[in-house]
Amino acid sequence: MPQHPKKFALSVFLLTSQSLLFTPFASGNEGSETTQQNPHSYLQLLTVLKNNKTITREQFEALKAQLLDHAEQLEQDKYVEDDEESLAIKTEGGLEVSTYDGQYAFELTGRMMFDMTSFEEDKNKLGNDSSIRRAFLGVEGKFDYNWGYELTVDFSGGEADLKDAYISYSGQNGWLWKFGHTKEPFSLEELTSSKYITFIERAMLNEFAPGRSLGINASTYGSNWTVAASINTQAWDDDPDDEGDEGWATTMRSTYAPWHTDTQALHFGIGLSHRVTDDERKVKFNSRPETKNTDIKFLNTGSIKKVEKISRLGLETAWVEGAFSAQAEFIMADLTRQSQDNLSFSGWYATASWMITGESKDYKFRKGSFGRLKPYSPNGAWEVAVRHSSLDLNDLDITGGEGYISTIGINWYITKQMRAMLNYAMVDNDEYANDDGDVLPSDDPRYVQLRLQLDF
Amino acid sequence: MNYPRYYLLLLAILFASLDASAKAFVIGKVSDNPQKHYGYLKPMADYLAKNLSEFGYTEGKVLMAKNNRQMVRYLKRKKVDLVTETIFSGVIFKDKAKAELLLTKWKKGQKNYESLIFVRKDSGINSLDDFKGKTIAFEDPGSTSAFYIPAAMLLRHGLSLERLDSVRDFPDEESVGYVFSNEEINTSTWVHKRLVQIGALNDHDWNKSDHLPKKFRDDFKIIAKSEKFPRGVELVRAGMSEALKRKIKSLLLNIHDDPDGVHILERYQKTARFQEFENNIGDVVKEARAIVSLVDSKLN
Repeated sequence: MPQHPKKFALSVFLLTSQSLLFTPFASGNEGSETTQQNPHSYLQLLTVLKNNKTITREQFEALKAQLLDHAEQLEQDKYVEDDEESLAIKTEGGLEVSTYDGQYAFELTGRMMFDMTSFEEDKNKLGNDSSIRRAFLGVEGKFDYNWGYELTVDFSGGEADLKDAYISYSGQNGWLWKFGHTKEPFSLEELTSSKYITFIERAMLNEFAPGRSLGINASTYGSNWTVAASINTQAWDDDPDDEGDEGWATTMRSTYAPWHTDTQALHFGIGLSHRVTDDERKVKFNSRPETKNTDIKFLNTGSIKKVEKISRLGLETAWVEGAFSAQAEFIMADLTRQSQDNLSFSGWYATASWMITGESKDYKFRKGSFGRLKPYSPNGAWEVAVRHSSLDLNDLDITGGEGYISTIGINWYITKQMRAMLNYAMVDNDEYANDDGDVLPSDDPRYVQLRLQLDF
Repeated sequence: MNYPRYYLLLLAILFASLDASAKAFVIGKVSDNPQKHYGYLKPMADYLAKNLSEFGYTEGKVLMAKNNRQMVRYLKRKKVDLVTETIFSGVIFKDKAKAELLLTKWKKGQKNYESLIFVRKDSGINSLDDFKGKTIAFEDPGSTSAFYIPAAMLLRHGLSLERLDSVRDFPDEESVGYVFSNEEINTSTWVHKRLVQIGALNDHDWNKSDHLPKKFRDDFKIIAKSEKFPRGVELVRAGMSEALKRKIKSLLLNIHDDPDGVHILERYQKTARFQEFENNIGDVVKEARAIVSLVDSKLN
């Protein structure tokens, strides 16, 4: 029998309580679940024992500290396995999933644009019309850290139209490589997503932008410059007759932004493209009057034969100063023909915009293009903009026509992902602008066009 | 048969295979958007791994945690080598995972930052004493400069804070109501539109037009400023050798002078440079710990 029965009893109690409290943590047996779920009940028990003076304050504090330490350790261990498999999941209407180590990522994206157009006709019947302009559904992702992919399809035409479809690689010192179907690096407005352009349609000179084709594209950037270059064949659905050879092209673009902040930017860009035509040697440039809700392409060169090469030069500039912004581009396309004089066509546009609600256009210096505008207010953002654009498809024996379009636009950015747009356009076509002989020339219609768009 | 030559060949293969067993230098960060932050941190991880090859590192990796608790587990299990965070999270990692504060980071070009509490000029509010019965918008429960610090400023002033379900609720007359806006622009818009009377932002966001448009700023006045805290800190895991720590420190302290480093710093959350802690870092850590403890005990 111990000499101090009280001390002995206390020792027995402490040993028993310690084993009761902590053995289950260590052994991980069934009892641990109860303990783990409710360490507070053990804390209450300790408090009762302390209040009854069965244990001293010092003993209480020591036991409490041990209890909390063990509870925290158990909590940590519980999550260790989860850590290995945890995913970050986000949604803003779409779906983004990624691993926490950046090895894998997946994103579901989409965009929908609904247009309605009412024409004030002049000489030709154009027909009021409404349409789903774009119905994109896409997936993009990343695997093994540096490899990625994007696959986007447009269903608006009633059948699947492949947009971006490429594999990318970003594991080489700041260079991004894309292999597959993607845009050739040319033209500020072409490289600014249709989700973010200021007017419902891009300006007429966009007819000269090469757009998407199959090939290899490499790009990089510095603190105020970008360089991109590509080698391409043709678009995924272009196929020369009689098993002839495809055409191919080399394209490059470089941009320079002497300054760029959240509210200010100045952008200069130059694009060059040299395309060797396919075995058919035929080229056609044509353009609708900046609306897709008519099939009439007033400006139309018709099929130009025996074209060996197309050389393009693009010059770009843009300026953002607070809520005000301006943007202009000029593109010239030279056609080298077999045993005939070369042709030269050109186009340009100039745009000015003012965000009534004070936001600034989002200039992305790493891409040399514009991105998403985020409204300051929960009620959205408002913008008013004007554009004057021109396309000249007349040269030598080719009389595709020359046209000018002046447009006033009002945009309501309902949220950062939804936008309503209203354009009023005044078209001025010359005496050759007759859709390759299909319509009356010198037609000067006007139209009002409305768009509702969302993307995720 | 020339055996020594075969032995040499075998040894060469062995060493080659040892080399091939990749050892990664891992940078960690707490993030709710790992995809975005991966791009920010990976070039720095690669840079450090490349320059730490003498320590056996062959590649750079990034590992994000969804919260501080997960990062503590990573640090304890040595799954991350370097963590880039705020001083407040840094204190938690120091206390719970014995991580070691290494350097300050001039994140977004700022050495230090401070919290600002502001109101509309025409609100009739002139000091913290006028806050009772009013509502303040914080950014989110994890924000250092737009929740922890300003909340602690109010609590230390003797004000009691009451969480509201929405901006349309009203606090008790003797309390200050608080709501979370989730984005800086929401905080400034809510104050400007009088949905709440008080807002809290850090001084960097105060001057960013996409977080606080100038025309809003012109209508606001600042009621209180906090003391300054380091804008960001770098920590290393417990148990790292002194030689490795010294080398990491040296690389980071000099990276802004390295032509290859400028581009990496720009990606690394627009960091201007790294710097040794100032002498008062002990007091700063104590203060950060006290703020976290106060706010967690009163509000979380």
